[in-house]
Amino acid sequence: MRKFFPVDSLARDSRFNQITMRQSQADPRTVLVGTDAKQRPNSNRLTPQRPDASDRARGLMHGIFVGEIQALEGAGRTCFDFETGAGDSTDNVPFALKLDMARQAWDEARHVEISVKLSEWMGTEIGQYAENTVLFEAACSTDPVLRLAGVNRALEGLAIDVFTTMKEFGDIAGDPYLEFCEDWMLADEVTHVKMGSDWLRRITENDPERRKKALEFQSVVDKIFSFGGTRSDSDESPIGLARRFRELAGFSDDEVEDIATVSLAALEERKAFAARARADAVDQFSAS
Amino acid sequence: MADPFKPRAPFAPWDRRQLPGLFDVEETARRVGNYKWAEMKLFEALGGWVATVPELDVKMRLGTHCYHHAWHAELWHKRLPELREMNPDRLTQPANDTLVEFVAALTEPEAPDQTIEKLVGVYRVFIPHFISAYTFHMNNTSEITDAPTIRTLKLALIDEFDDWRDGEMMLQSLIDTPEEVDRAAAHQARLEKLIVAAGGIAGPGSIGGN
Repeated sequence: MRKFFPVDSLARDSRFNQITMRQSQADPRTVLVGTDAKQRPNSNRLTPQRPDASDRARGLMHGIFVGEIQALEGAGRTCFDFETGAGDSTDNVPFALKLDMARQAWDEARHVEISVKLSEWMGTEIGQYAENTVLFEAACSTDPVLRLAGVNRALEGLAIDVFTTMKEFGDIAGDPYLEFCEDWMLADEVTHVKMGSDWLRRITENDPERRKKALEFQSVVDKIFSFGGTRSDSDESPIGLARRFRELAGFSDDEVEDIATVSLAALEERKAFAARARADAVDQFSAS
Repeated sequence: MADPFKPRAPFAPWDRRQLPGLFDVEETARRVGNYKWAEMKLFEALGGWVATVPELDVKMRLGTHCYHHAWHAELWHKRLPELREMNPDRLTQPANDTLVEFVAALTEPEAPDQTIEKLVGVYRVFIPHFISAYTFHMNNTSEITDAPTIRTLKLALIDEFDDWRDGEMMLQSLIDTPEEVDRAAAHQARLEKLIVAAGGIAGPGSIGGN
């Protein structure tokens, strides 16, 4: 088995359909791209009152399911891809970090189990929605510190936001089963983010350049994981920013503010992209 | 109530533990270092394979078992300083070069259609050798002086037996044809020859003899 496993080789059974981030963002069924601005609801936040709440919630749960698979795969790869050492270069990691990654692999495996059962509960079949593989891509870096920044802090941070939104959805919708499970997963995700924050600080303690690079990578991933504005403080985003749980996970106030800014910027970029896409479509239609 | 000041035997009649054991401190530390190395190689392989297997149930079990063996490695890591080895990395070694060859052969399969080979290596060869070495150690070390090692062996063995059963169930559910039986058997034989040549996970004498 080779070290460093490419994203396009991820093994899946025949039910899964994998797509890229670009394909996902260009999906005409998404609210920002597909609907005229005047017809858009004032809030895109996932609430039971939305006419499309059921499908949106199922889609989000399927997204959680495939995200957990990729998080499991990423944690597992970090156990294998690097030698055990002091963590002072990009080809090795401390033994204790590998133990944390193995623990995370177990946690993510449970999350896959939970999200499969919740998907069944919500009436969804495996493969009913596409799988965006951007999450595993963040786990493909050859520098383990970048993986911690991209996966544990950015991706698992997003998971905190998503699970908080789903937990609230379960609460408002009167679904204690959903709320119960999301709360348990949320507890694990806070642990994973804290793990990433702690290791990032410890490994780069005497290497400010490496820390800077890792935090820049995290910022890029945060922006990507904002899914073009899917997650932000704005009501135009379906998923909110879970500030309190992020604090518990070790994010500083400044870091949370930075993520909020990046997320809003991503939302604005996405809206501009959607406006251009609509204009192009109108032009093409008019020309034909 | 019985008189609380009446002298009692220090060992109750049902407590048959004995002082003598086969292993001194040094030999115990050597074995524990070998166990830690082997558990590390196992959890790393299981973690690496998660992304390579298409079967969803297998993927989840590998992730779960990955942690079991990481936890065993951690327990052995903590035991080493208690055995006068203050630099645990010094004894975190393979028993011999043949065991390194075995691990290289074990981790060779990567393709998505090689799940049988991956599982055979772990659940029909490696884990049975953990079970035998751990059982031998548990049954032959001093039940009083080496009680901490015995406790770790017992905890690890619970996982080893459970994981072996999980793995065997997965294999039986994947092997459908005579050709697949042959594939599994051929890979098992190849790996078994290597680990026999190595003498087991702690080298010659892993389960006595030699």
